[in-house]
Amino acid sequence: MSMLLQLKQLAKKRPGSTDSYLFRNLSAAVAEPQIIHLLGFSGQGKSTLLRIIARLSGADAGELYLFDQPMAAYSPEEWRSTVCYVAQQPIMLPGSVEDNLRIASHLQQIPFDRDYARQLMERMELHLDWSKAAAQLSGGEKQRLALIRALLLRPRILLLDEVTSALDIHSQHAVEQVLLELQRSEGTAQIWVTHQLEQARRISQRIWFLAEEQLLEDSSPQAFFHSPRTEEARRFLQTSLEKVTN
Amino acid sequence: MASLTIWFSALFIIIPLLFSARQKLALEKEIAVSALRCAIQLFLIGYVLQYIFASNHPVLIALLLLMMLLVATWNAARRGAGIPGIHWRIASAMIFSELVTMSLLIGTGSIKLTPQYLVPLSGMILGNAMVVSGLFLSQLKREVNSSRGEIETLLSLGATRRQAIQPVIKRVIKASMIPTFDTMKTMGLVQLPGTMTGMIIAGASPVDAVKYQIMIMFSLAAAATLSAMVLALLCYSLWYTPEGYLREQEQ
Repeated sequence: MSMLLQLKQLAKKRPGSTDSYLFRNLSAAVAEPQIIHLLGFSGQGKSTLLRIIARLSGADAGELYLFDQPMAAYSPEEWRSTVCYVAQQPIMLPGSVEDNLRIASHLQQIPFDRDYARQLMERMELHLDWSKAAAQLSGGEKQRLALIRALLLRPRILLLDEVTSALDIHSQHAVEQVLLELQRSEGTAQIWVTHQLEQARRISQRIWFLAEEQLLEDSSPQAFFHSPRTEEARRFLQTSLEKVTN
Repeated sequence: MASLTIWFSALFIIIPLLFSARQKLALEKEIAVSALRCAIQLFLIGYVLQYIFASNHPVLIALLLLMMLLVATWNAARRGAGIPGIHWRIASAMIFSELVTMSLLIGTGSIKLTPQYLVPLSGMILGNAMVVSGLFLSQLKREVNSSRGEIETLLSLGATRRQAIQPVIKRVIKASMIPTFDTMKTMGLVQLPGTMTGMIIAGASPVDAVKYQIMIMFSLAAAATLSAMVLALLCYSLWYTPEGYLREQEQ
């Protein structure tokens, strides 16, 4: 069966350590364009794993496959145009909102799809003057603009690292709807890192739970939230629930 | 200049020595060593130049230029300490800017192909390229570290390694060239530069001296630009791993 993305025996040591691992022998596969949520306690290497998949950081061991081809078969820029990472801290590039929107088309030497950009802005309820300096936007506006900037690249796989953390609930839902629609209509697979379990419950189609140096669980949201297989996952859900109720 | 005069000039060094001693700056040794080195090095190069100019031997001239190049490279490379392969990159940038600038000067008939022109002008060009290269490297190290987010954002959007680091390189080239152009702006208003002063003292007409100075300043500006450009082109890949990741540590 053809695979979108495969992670084979990935390992990453903790920064500065020679024998302590964030994760090792980590394997997983994405066969169809799903929305996957990568969950786990802080410091387990969720963001690091996304950065490795995005080819922004190297793994200490293991291999990545995209469309059944090893990573080495792609140039870094080919890979990153197909598997696009959106960071938790939205970095605005120098210039205006429009300069930021145009950057992907400028880099790829392809025409700028103004209509698509406008449509995404409207659907994410981002009503901005395009000539405004991007650096002057609020945290939530920057986060949405960074996401739209990535979507204009039309990647096949999106890696989203806490991309709604600075949004109010209303904007958060708007962003979720756009990304759900994108998955349905264009078949964009998405791997989300989030600390918001409610969000994972709402839109996730699959859960990866990272703990004890492994993907301890790879299951449907129903199975994970209602009957987690591992003690560690039960502890995670319990702790997260306590945080919410407190 | 009479030999006795040079001994009187030592009086000028007594001023900083006394000041340091009185203010307890503990700089007396530093001042004495610097003054001694300055005098010995200049006397040595004076006699060497006199010999080379008299002999007019191409091998000796080439050796002298090579020595200048090596010292300038070594000095600029200290700003890029720890970056593998930085020496040959700096040397290449300097050789390129020296060759282009000197070819233009000689080709247009602005100077003659004699050691009297070749050696001092090469010294100025290499010296300026050394300052620009050193500034470029130290600023690039700092700027890449402070702009990691920007570089990685561009990489995430499918930029090539060169595209992603290009905005940083532009800022660094600009910053390392500014001193050269700032010097040009105040030339003649704040400082009367060395060549011009030397020529006037040696008896040349001030207008002739100015013409040479303008030519030198413009050629230095070209050399600074060329060395920064070539160094940027040769260096940017050093900030990435062979696999294309932006290097984690400050180099």
